[in-house]
Amino acid sequence: MTYSRRNFLKGIAILSGSALVAPSLLISRAAQAQSGAAHMSDDIKTWKVAGSHFGAIRAKVVGDRVVEVQPMEYDQHPTEMIKGIPGLIYSSSRVRYPMVRLDWYKNRHHSDTSQRGDNRFVRVGWDEAIDLFYEELERVQKEYGPWALHTAGVGWRSVGQMHSCGNHMVRAIGMHGRSVGTIGDYSTGAGQVILPYVLGSTEVYSQGTSWEVILAESKVIVFWANDPIKNLQVGWNTETHESYAYFAQLKKKVASGDIQVICLDPVKSKTQNYLECEHQYVNPMTDVVLMLAMAHTLVIENLYDKKFLETYALGFDRFLPYLQGRSEDNIEKTPEWAESICGVPAEHIRELARLMAANRTQLIFGWAVQRQQHGEQPYWMGAVLAALLGQIGLPGGGISFSHHYSSVGVSSSGAAMPGAFPLNLDPGRKPKHDNDNYQGYSTVIPIARAIDALLEPGKEIDFNGTKVKLPPYKMGIFTGHNQWHRHQQRNRMKHAYHKLETVVAIDYNWTATCRFADIVLPACTPFERNDIDAYGTYSNRGVLAMHKLIDPLFNSKPDFEIFSALCRRFHREEEYTRGMNEMEWIEYLYNECVAENVQKNIAMPSFAEFWKKGYHLFPEGKPWVRHADFRDDAEVNAVGTPSGFIEIFSRKIERYGYADCKGHPIWMEKIERSHGGPGSDRYPLWLQSVHPDKRLHSQLCESEALRSTYTIQGREPVFMSPQDAKDRGVSHGDLVRVFNDRGQLLAGAHVSDNFPPGVVRIEEGAWYGPTGPEIGALDTYGDPNTLTLDIGTSSLAQGPSANTCLVELEKYVGTAPVVTAFGGPTEVDPNGNQVKANA
Amino acid sequence: MIKNLYRTVKNLFQRPSTKIGLGVLVMGGFIAGAIAWLGFNTALHATSKEEFCLSCHSMHDNLLPELQKTVHWSNRTGVRTRCSDCHVPHNFTDKIARKMQASREVWGELIGTIGTREKFQEHRIVLARREWKRLSANGSRECRVCHDYKDMDFNVMRPASQVAMRRAAERDESCISCHKGIAHQLPDMKGAHNPAFDTLVSAASGQNIEAGGEYFAILPRDLFTDPQMTQKIGLLEVGAKVKMLETQGNMQRVELDLWRKNKGYGRVWYSQFGLNITSAILEKTVSRDDNLVKVLEAQEDLLTGLEWQRVKAEVWMQAESLLASPEPIWSIARSSYSSSCSTCHRQPQEAHFDANTWPGLFGGMVGFTSMDEDTAKVVLKYLQNHSSDFSETAHGNDATKGAVQTARP
Repeated sequence: MTYSRRNFLKGIAILSGSALVAPSLLISRAAQAQSGAAHMSDDIKTWKVAGSHFGAIRAKVVGDRVVEVQPMEYDQHPTEMIKGIPGLIYSSSRVRYPMVRLDWYKNRHHSDTSQRGDNRFVRVGWDEAIDLFYEELERVQKEYGPWALHTAGVGWRSVGQMHSCGNHMVRAIGMHGRSVGTIGDYSTGAGQVILPYVLGSTEVYSQGTSWEVILAESKVIVFWANDPIKNLQVGWNTETHESYAYFAQLKKKVASGDIQVICLDPVKSKTQNYLECEHQYVNPMTDVVLMLAMAHTLVIENLYDKKFLETYALGFDRFLPYLQGRSEDNIEKTPEWAESICGVPAEHIRELARLMAANRTQLIFGWAVQRQQHGEQPYWMGAVLAALLGQIGLPGGGISFSHHYSSVGVSSSGAAMPGAFPLNLDPGRKPKHDNDNYQGYSTVIPIARAIDALLEPGKEIDFNGTKVKLPPYKMGIFTGHNQWHRHQQRNRMKHAYHKLETVVAIDYNWTATCRFADIVLPACTPFERNDIDAYGTYSNRGVLAMHKLIDPLFNSKPDFEIFSALCRRFHREEEYTRGMNEMEWIEYLYNECVAENVQKNIAMPSFAEFWKKGYHLFPEGKPWVRHADFRDDAEVNAVGTPSGFIEIFSRKIERYGYADCKGHPIWMEKIERSHGGPGSDRYPLWLQSVHPDKRLHSQLCESEALRSTYTIQGREPVFMSPQDAKDRGVSHGDLVRVFNDRGQLLAGAHVSDNFPPGVVRIEEGAWYGPTGPEIGALDTYGDPNTLTLDIGTSSLAQGPSANTCLVELEKYVGTAPVVTAFGGPTEVDPNGNQVKANA
Repeated sequence: MIKNLYRTVKNLFQRPSTKIGLGVLVMGGFIAGAIAWLGFNTALHATSKEEFCLSCHSMHDNLLPELQKTVHWSNRTGVRTRCSDCHVPHNFTDKIARKMQASREVWGELIGTIGTREKFQEHRIVLARREWKRLSANGSRECRVCHDYKDMDFNVMRPASQVAMRRAAERDESCISCHKGIAHQLPDMKGAHNPAFDTLVSAASGQNIEAGGEYFAILPRDLFTDPQMTQKIGLLEVGAKVKMLETQGNMQRVELDLWRKNKGYGRVWYSQFGLNITSAILEKTVSRDDNLVKVLEAQEDLLTGLEWQRVKAEVWMQAESLLASPEPIWSIARSSYSSSCSTCHRQPQEAHFDANTWPGLFGGMVGFTSMDEDTAKVVLKYLQNHSSDFSETAHGNDATKGAVQTARP
């Protein structure tokens, strides 16, 4: 088959046309221009393959410039996020050169730390920057020891197994000396700690029952505080978007009445709008109340599965008195009691319980309800509800905590995926500073307590049955992640950062974490280096080549080179790289993957063939049912709880003696809660900071063209109900000030019928752009974590409680300050004089 | 009849010749011998040549393409190994012995045991084990013609290699114990996909077993009521401890002294009271059989409220499955753990969690690794056996040491 220039242009036109017409991630591309796709795959020189959290792409590169990005031909449900990729590479926020904060440049670790955040930086060369980094590491290890160095946990590093930035940091810094690390994460802080006690596994990152099974067997599906249509756009490894095909089928089954889907949420979600299914409103943060009343109904009406509890669960007898009002608060958990708190009519609660008991019901929880104070409780109570329904382990029944994540529910091919650049030191090797004296401080802290460690040095806190002594570290290293996005309560962070002597940030775009750092090193984007990635986090669909699209812009470098240079300072570069360069590593990781698949009798092409084609796909896997093995034989396939059975009551947790997480799920009032709860008289609006629709957390916010599709007057939108807008004299498109005692921000009012009165939303990941370094400064763009509360979920998990947050808002009058979140630092010379652009 | 034949043969060799001169006879015999020797030697030489090896299609179709991809076939210096360099011993006696053995492979080719790719793959484990055993026994002598410890300059090796090779040299380790699959694809190990387990198998075959001693299972093994293996009654898990009672041929009678939860069939037996470390799984039909299972004591586990029973049973299992120490098993698990579980995050220290917490955490994460089922089982057992329940330092100030550092999002 040959291509004429005319055909080629036609193919491209069809493809770009389809991408424009279909922002439409749910419109199948199956019928679209196969010829164009085939053409792209033949033309490796200009249409290269790359991976991203937002999907695999083909990028057209002309003259060392990415001129066009299209979804890779396999992806039938691409997200418009990939259109933000050029804007991410060519962002005005790129970290262009190694930069050092002005006062730190002059006074090193004795600098005036209250200037942090004024964004004035001096440009330095790579050699000088790495020398400064290395000298600081040496100083901190010699002067203090390992307790004084914090290597922060990396979350959503860019995809690519070779350049995985956290691995590079941990290995290189680990070769130099020990440090304080973190445990847990910001997404599932409470969930991943409580569920092993109850269901015997973390569940939140586990493969779930296959969609084809759910579509065939479920009669009722409840998406509980869950918006999969929004959240499945991104994946931990390069995302395949395979789940969306099943949602298209589900939409049909909703329309035909074959499956009843209920979105249980204060807000009408993107999923509910897409499926056109039922919406069940519940007051924010009161899900436990609703579930308790449903359990009460199941018991009173004798609808619960006694045989299931007897065979598979322990501790119902110790939970029952609480339901009946014979323990703890001595309140019977009737639907009438619940109605007054959760806002769902009592009769409706009974109907919900009866519906679930009478039908094969699949509960699918999102992560939002555990990102709040006492976030352990809704997950525990959800599992208890599922146990009472007795459908755990049945096809299309039971409970899931992961179907909104990385195409969980798409059966795994079973193939081995490529490994990664090693995170550990090689066997038998010791760090240069082989000192493990932490002076009594904990070596690892719960990640969401990292700021507490600075503000409350040496404090002993409870954590998951142990005591953690918070180390007042002096130096922090952040690579490929943005603490000034993910952590709560900005002004508290400003206080804490005054106590840090040195902060090193390594990133490709100038995040707020760079703004508050002392040494900033420019990494290149994943599109400026070669790499290899797993395609499909759970489906193990294939292995993806990530071709370097263009040379690194400005003075940026891959993390691999940055940390090689650091290791060179203490003569261990060769140990760090194992004497291999980038492509040798990629080929090595590929060949290791081939060897593992040979043992599974799965053939793969040679590396050269793979690299040229850009990907290798594995066949479809077999449908699978979560917990079916446990249901089949609970003794042999015991779950990982202390007893091996589902624990409705946990004696182990009871023994910890925590007031905020007892032996069974309990409704506890929150420190602040809307809809009549504490504090709602002063700040009546509940602020939810959900995962964004057009970003991956804070990634892509700096991509200007994509950002302009959702901003209002250049600010992050705050979504609100028509009622709340009207009450405050606010119209759609107005600039508003959102505030509480913890902070204030500017945002653009987005008025929508999807929101009930008393509920507003600002998506997390909006870049922080304060007017200045001073505490309390107005955030000019609209980062919701300016307003959120930095407390642990409980003594058990110590996870973040971002969704426990009340605010008020008002129309902003007067001249609005310019947005400071984007555009990088203010470059100054060592005397503090601003350096003109292009000077 | 037979007597007559015997006499004729005896006469032929013992009675002096009456017709042919002695000289002619001796000379004729010598010449015939020389020709035969020449032919033998030619044949010996010819059958050691690569062309001969590759002339049969099992070798040509299966092994040649694999070998061609390796450094032993093609490399920058142009030094190439031939089949015989590795597979034919270089001294005469061993060479003859190996040739005798090799006749089996020719036979296999002829009768079709290894005639197709599928059959070859299936049978490969047998062929490979034979070569591994030979090379293990002779200290990988053929490899060491070219690669000997005494000629290695460790300083020019990569740091990771230095560590491994220095240690190997100190113990005069046989090359094959680490470098299996260096020239050919590894066989499908069945029941032991991780090639590292193979070293356990050879170690167990050399283990000296004494009645009354305590031993640890290196692989999952079926359990029987009798040495004839008529009734299978369960499965012994990797790392499980047994007490040796007696050996009868290829079978051994052992005593299990374990714990179980007194709920359901009580068929899963654990190594210690209150700890969910599975040691054996009995069939439902026998787990409550008083003739087999003796209940010694009962105790309530306060953490779960379940009653646990100490149980004893005498069972039969196949020999060559036990080691006196579990350390070699744990060492394989340890290396698998530290490499597989650090792809996405720092792996937690073993003693960070207790034995009953590990299954939940491990089960939630193992799906992200490429561990096969058996490796995963061994790694979990390793983690449980090195958990805070067995560690003196745990639950102190540093209880979070090395915990999961950068989990997912």
